[in-house]
Amino acid sequence: MYNPLSYVLSCLFVLIAHAAMLANVFINGNYESVTDPAILAGAVLLLDVAYFTALLFFKQTSYTIDFLLVLVLNMSVIFQSSFGQVKFDGDAIKHYITAITALIACRIGFFACRNYKSLQNKRKFIYIAIGVCIVLILTLTGSRSMWIQIGPISLQPSEFIKPLFILACATSVAEQQKKHKVLLFNVVYENIALFGLMAVICLLQWWCADLGSLPTFMAIYISGFLLRICYPKAKLSKKTYITAAVSLLVVAVIAFKFAPAYVQERLHADIWSDTNGSGYQQSQALIAIADGGWTGKGPGNGFLCNVAAHENDIVFATVCEEWGLLYALMMIFVILIMLAVPLINPPRSYYHATMSAGVCAAFTVQMALNIFGSCNMIPFTGVTIPFISAGGSSMMVSGFMIGMLAAAQSPILDNTGGQPRTAQRPPVKQPNKRPVRRKAV
Amino acid sequence: MGSTELILCAVTVAALDICAMVLLLCAYTDKSASKKYWKHFTGDMELAEQGCAYPLGCDEVIIGRHASADIRIPDLSVSRYHALMTVNGGAWTITDIGSKSGIYINGNLTKEAILRENDIINIGSHRLVFRKRRDKK
Repeated sequence: MYNPLSYVLSCLFVLIAHAAMLANVFINGNYESVTDPAILAGAVLLLDVAYFTALLFFKQTSYTIDFLLVLVLNMSVIFQSSFGQVKFDGDAIKHYITAITALIACRIGFFACRNYKSLQNKRKFIYIAIGVCIVLILTLTGSRSMWIQIGPISLQPSEFIKPLFILACATSVAEQQKKHKVLLFNVVYENIALFGLMAVICLLQWWCADLGSLPTFMAIYISGFLLRICYPKAKLSKKTYITAAVSLLVVAVIAFKFAPAYVQERLHADIWSDTNGSGYQQSQALIAIADGGWTGKGPGNGFLCNVAAHENDIVFATVCEEWGLLYALMMIFVILIMLAVPLINPPRSYYHATMSAGVCAAFTVQMALNIFGSCNMIPFTGVTIPFISAGGSSMMVSGFMIGMLAAAQSPILDNTGGQPRTAQRPPVKQPNKRPVRRKAV
Repeated sequence: MGSTELILCAVTVAALDICAMVLLLCAYTDKSASKKYWKHFTGDMELAEQGCAYPLGCDEVIIGRHASADIRIPDLSVSRYHALMTVNGGAWTITDIGSKSGIYINGNLTKEAILRENDIINIGSHRLVFRKRRDKK
């Protein structure tokens, strides 16, 4: 363990935070018998202790992201178990299992992305995996449904493209120097491939009628474009900036003009004129936020649990109602801290830096879409808040993406497998000295 | 909501707040650990010129005249993107990335070379020494 004091303090304070939440559930919560919150408390604390113990077996430079992840995941387990009434059964157990899956996915992401040089060499496999996801979407899902049903599990293949797309966008400076002359232009083949991929994803989302995820992909692409794909330090020339901004604006105007009917309807919807129809969810969400106030009505005392998608699409409003705006803002603050860790300890490799920027961009946009959608500041998109909303695919992918962030914090720099070769000058070979024969006088 | 419940809510939020702050502090302590690992791995080298030194803080460092280069040498004898320094297996390598005047290592024109301590790199009219980092006193 690198810093035992940090480890012990982190464990202690995460446990205290969860214990305080559970105490709130016991005292303010709405439950039938004491065994319900007791089982919930047992499950949450058990997961905490199990993950803290598991971390001891992994040698890392930094554990902060792991502690923040387990803090957020168990917060989400407590929230989801107390919506409507505090109980640990059915959907709550399902959410608990998806939280464990997210932790496992985080470990997988960590090991997969730690050695960026091997990832860079296996770039073609990333493109193949994206291709497979696209084929799955085209053949098995699409405009009919966004999920693939495998027994009791339903998977959303479009979610799995996100981390793969981030990995594809992460490009090192060395790769950017491989320019090829095509007609009059010096081009980097990879940039063209990424642009093509972005265009394919846009068309796919359009065809699937899942335009809510499009801003997330755009954010990933733009962060990659600004950071690495264009220039080493994203200091673009004014001309490039203006051209990019104008083209983006033109594309946005055209997209809004020719958007499908259901998007047009959402863009121009007045939720208060149709509170029982298309504006039902948002109006109820706003009433719930106002009803909850700063400190909330208490866990399990809300009415928003009767509205569809209260546990994923309008989860921010549900938390606001039962736990209060103060707590909901703290929840967002903790997720933002998790995304801010790369700013405190910047990655040492450009590949990891671009990867971290992609993850942060995706999470920030997703959170913004959900929160602002719930508050009626933007049209309703149905995008989830990472780790807080219910949903297996989203949880798994979010866990994997946090694993990518953790990998950037504890990278494998020495990919030779041996001791670091220090840049020492080798001993200079001395010319063979021959015994000097003295001439006999 | 009664005053006891309000106090409990405040305590819960405060506990979460303190936990977040402790984890932030831990992130800062991890920073020094990661710095130590980087120094151990790369030998803590720098490029030094008369009067200034450029630390090598990440695995890919671009030397050039352009404002976006990591080590910026504002001189017309240096190309916009002149050379790229990379670290692999603990050893630093310098590569010419299409410069006009080339790179000279210890007086020899080269396209790519593994650097050793105290090597002299000539980039345009500038002479840089690849050496161990020295603390400013």
